[in-house]
Amino acid sequence: MSRPASRFISPSLQWGMIGLIAIALSLWQAGLFRQTVVNFNGFPLLWRFVAASVHPDLSYDLLATTLQASLVTLAYAVCGTFLSVTIGAIAGVFCSEVWWLEVLRAKRLRYFGFHSVRAILAFPRAIHELIWGLFFLNIWGLDPLVAVAAIAIPFGAITAKVFSEILDETPRQPLLALINSGVAPITAFFYTLLPQAFLNLLSYSFYRFECSIRSAAVLGIIGAGGLGYEILLSLQSLRYEQLWTFFYALLILNGGVDIASATLRNQLGCASRIDLNSHRPTKRNISNSRIFSLFPIAIAGVALSFWYIQPDLSKIGSPRSQQLLHQIVQTSLPPNFTGIAELIPLSVETVAMSVLAIAIAASGGLLLAFPAAQIFLLSGLLNRRGNANLFPLVLLVIARIVLLLCRAIPAPIWALVVLYVLFPGILPGAIGLGLHNLGILGRLFAEVIENLEQPPLKALSAGGTPNSLVFLYGVLPATMPRFLAYTLYRWEVCMRETVIVGLVGAGGLGRLLTEQLSSFDYQSLIVTLGAFLVLTFLVDWISGRVRRSLRAS
Amino acid sequence: MWYLPNLEISVLQLMKRLLTSAFLFLSLLPLSACSNNSSPNSSANSAAQTKTQTKTFVTGAIPDQDAEKLQRLYGKLSQYLEAELKTPVSYKPVTDYTAAVTAFKVGDLDMVWFGGLTGVQARLQVPGAEALAQRDIDAKFHSVFIANKNSGIQPINNLKELTVLKGHSFTFGSESSTSGRLMPQYFLQQAGVTLEDFKGQSGFSQNHDATIALVTAGTYDAGVLNEQVWQKRLQEGKIDRSKIDVIWRSPEYYDYHWVISPSVKQRFGDDFPQKVQTALMKLDPKVAEQKEILELFGATKFVPTKNENYARIEQVGREIGKIK
Amino acid sequence: MSSDPIISVDRVTLQFGQFTALTDISLHIVAGERVALVGSSGAGKSTLIRLLNGTLEPTRGEVQAFGQKLHQLKPKHHRQIQRQIGTIYQQLHLVDNLRVIHNVNAGHLGHWSFLKALISLIVPLDVATATQALAQVGIPEKLYDRTDRLSGGQQQRVAIARVLVQNPMVILADEPISSLDRELSREVMEILCNCQSSRTLIVSLHDVDVALRYCDRMIGLRRGRILFDAPSTAVSSEMIADLYRL
Repeated sequence: MSRPASRFISPSLQWGMIGLIAIALSLWQAGLFRQTVVNFNGFPLLWRFVAASVHPDLSYDLLATTLQASLVTLAYAVCGTFLSVTIGAIAGVFCSEVWWLEVLRAKRLRYFGFHSVRAILAFPRAIHELIWGLFFLNIWGLDPLVAVAAIAIPFGAITAKVFSEILDETPRQPLLALINSGVAPITAFFYTLLPQAFLNLLSYSFYRFECSIRSAAVLGIIGAGGLGYEILLSLQSLRYEQLWTFFYALLILNGGVDIASATLRNQLGCASRIDLNSHRPTKRNISNSRIFSLFPIAIAGVALSFWYIQPDLSKIGSPRSQQLLHQIVQTSLPPNFTGIAELIPLSVETVAMSVLAIAIAASGGLLLAFPAAQIFLLSGLLNRRGNANLFPLVLLVIARIVLLLCRAIPAPIWALVVLYVLFPGILPGAIGLGLHNLGILGRLFAEVIENLEQPPLKALSAGGTPNSLVFLYGVLPATMPRFLAYTLYRWEVCMRETVIVGLVGAGGLGRLLTEQLSSFDYQSLIVTLGAFLVLTFLVDWISGRVRRSLRAS
Repeated sequence: MWYLPNLEISVLQLMKRLLTSAFLFLSLLPLSACSNNSSPNSSANSAAQTKTQTKTFVTGAIPDQDAEKLQRLYGKLSQYLEAELKTPVSYKPVTDYTAAVTAFKVGDLDMVWFGGLTGVQARLQVPGAEALAQRDIDAKFHSVFIANKNSGIQPINNLKELTVLKGHSFTFGSESSTSGRLMPQYFLQQAGVTLEDFKGQSGFSQNHDATIALVTAGTYDAGVLNEQVWQKRLQEGKIDRSKIDVIWRSPEYYDYHWVISPSVKQRFGDDFPQKVQTALMKLDPKVAEQKEILELFGATKFVPTKNENYARIEQVGREIGKIK
Repeated sequence: MSSDPIISVDRVTLQFGQFTALTDISLHIVAGERVALVGSSGAGKSTLIRLLNGTLEPTRGEVQAFGQKLHQLKPKHHRQIQRQIGTIYQQLHLVDNLRVIHNVNAGHLGHWSFLKALISLIVPLDVATATQALAQVGIPEKLYDRTDRLSGGQQQRVAIARVLVQNPMVILADEPISSLDRELSREVMEILCNCQSSRTLIVSLHDVDVALRYCDRMIGLRRGRILFDAPSTAVSSEMIADLYRL
């Protein structure tokens, strides 16, 4: 009975305990206490890998390859972002409540309209880019179009969801005021709601671009070319010096995009990446005209990227593609349910992998976020004497580089490195996913800390409270709820990403999916995908429930 | 470190720098786009390829070895075929075995150098596709099981003794490899060794060179690969025999072969497969240029083959579950 | 001036769930009248105003504007009626991060096509009308300022300028001077009353003195009921005391 229990322990404590139990069970599932997981023979190779980081291959030929591969990755990301934001903007309007309720005034139809659009969008969102990539490969063949569409479709659905939430959370009174003075609802929508929400929409689009860069690298691994592909090749042929050159290129690319996007968002006055629910007053340093002056640059960038990768757009509706689509649908039907008993233990493995991954990511991210946050450096909060102390600066730089390295390198590549010293199974997959997400979560956490309300902390500090207690009473309570929300959100992402580490030999459903793919057993594959969808929705549901109950408490 | 200065400069300076570098970047684009024709992932010219697809004969290969070597090898082969067939020939690199089969099915590749299993998978998906030619060695192909000396695994004399691998860590090549996975798993099965008998889960290194490297480094006690790659690396002196050696050579089976799509008949004429077969068989070790191609393939000559040769592979594939 | 009522409310009751906001309200307003709605907060002034501009639907009874039953109209006709009723809200409901001119131009949107509205968001159209309206409210220099950079009083004037541009036959104003000082209040009331004489003004006020000075008719609301409805000259101090009695 949860009701009497909750009188003694708060919901957060309750969920915390459930979380710990889940982690312990997942560790057991990973075989930590039951079988050999560490392969000690692999350590010399791991050491060679690490040692190569200080002398990357800087020969002219390789640098040329690196530049070209970086451009390919960047171009995929630009095209993917452009399309996903376009899809997101259109679909986002149609799955926002405000559109159905206030603009169309379809009160009765609303339940049908907006819920059905949302439900339809849940499917492309739940399927990983990689699976989309493999699907499009089957109908469009080897074409850059595959990678662009593989980013655009799932990301478009995610963007649509977030855009609709932004629109719904934007104050509606100005819209209603215009509608009630006889303005056509659509005109009023474009005139009031969109300008109001514009900054948040733009800010999220920048964040999406950061995600697209990472995704473009992952798609490289399945053959879209670019840095991910080069990294996979060097890793497989154990050419670590080359590998590190590509790593550094990926680092520069990710770091550059992160810095550029952070700078722009800062200038626009929208401080955080995805935390759009907190409506802090926007302090903008940039005028409307300067925002609009960014558009020609953006358009030029998109045009150049499309020109550079040259997707064959004629394939989209060509009879040949339709025929192939028809063919793949036919070979996938009817679904083959004979292997369904096998799916249950594998599903458990997959969930365990996602739990371990997010546990690693959250604890590592938490550890690195505080040194990586600028606030402790600038405000002198924890260094009150104000003397020139280089230590925090050094710590900040190291923490940020570690976070950047973690998130820049795709999870499957991390998993392949971990596979040197661990036997294949869910643990290397979880560590690979965990490391990659650690970089992302750590950065998000650091941003939460940087956006912390200062006055309450200053007040505590002014009252003579020692720094450690300011941290305990001021910083932690203010940041924890947001940290938890991000962690839960990222857990959903981890769940989807178990597919890609499965591809390189980590366990779970992803591993089975790889076998089925290489056996062209589409009838069983579709059942496995179905299991994946169920798991993704389950994790989304649990995460949503926990978030709601934590918000309520 | 290169990263540090960036943190110090002001936001405005940073913006300026970013803009300048962006413009530099953009002005470089056309240059690099032109120069990437020879790179393994030349996505820029793929559109051009599709437009001329009706005229170009597109070849491909499963990525069972080093991609750079494949690029060199197929570049030379394309030149040769182009001269022989008097048709433009191009090579499209593919990143994994499954993608090669899919690209062949979709029609992006007209003729592909497949392994035994992938060839069967491809032919099953493209009715009318034909096994065209193979190397002299492919009709009697072998896998070699290798082991790290420190593992204490001793060479064995027959299939039944594969049980010595029980309790050791073990890696295959690619999931779809005939010599690196399918046949070895079949032989292991016959010896009564299941995948659960290995220490930890068995690995999939993805290609033959990676298997050698991983066993040499000791990441896995033992592994299995294509005998021809092994011999080749031995000759090149790339194998440290103080660390690893062969413990068993498998029985023979049919492996690598060229598979050609039936669509070429419409585009180049009914006798086109015949012409390609002849061109391949005409490769002569006495001509310097052609000798190099044969050497890169690790063959002395190409011989004709036919679909029926792969009936056993198909049967094993169905047994192991790689063909449905 | 015709004596037909321009707005008439007939035995209207309005409930929000269990809570009854307005009970059995009837009133008729003819063109050119200046009506003050007075009463303490929570008396139902804002609710009545939102009922008159068609935002809220009565639970019982009916509201007519220009001889049409407001809630039986098709959306298109409903909008046509609403264009003739301009509302100044207590919270203004301006789009904060747009420039002043766009907020003023929003008054045109009832007549503009969708395309014209979009173009105007990028290149402001009809600048002359907007400038004139802003000059009328005394802040012509703020035309291109961002709305959220203005002070509260200036934003109030932008909201009035928006209604002036809309040029409706009826202006509804909900507490337009509640957050302003004496001097500003006077100016704002002057602006509202100095419009053409044929225009009808319905304004809710908490300051009875202001109501007496600027309006020719006063309607006293108390707990959702009309307590009195009389010419300003006939309103006695007893009636006012009764209105604000606890």
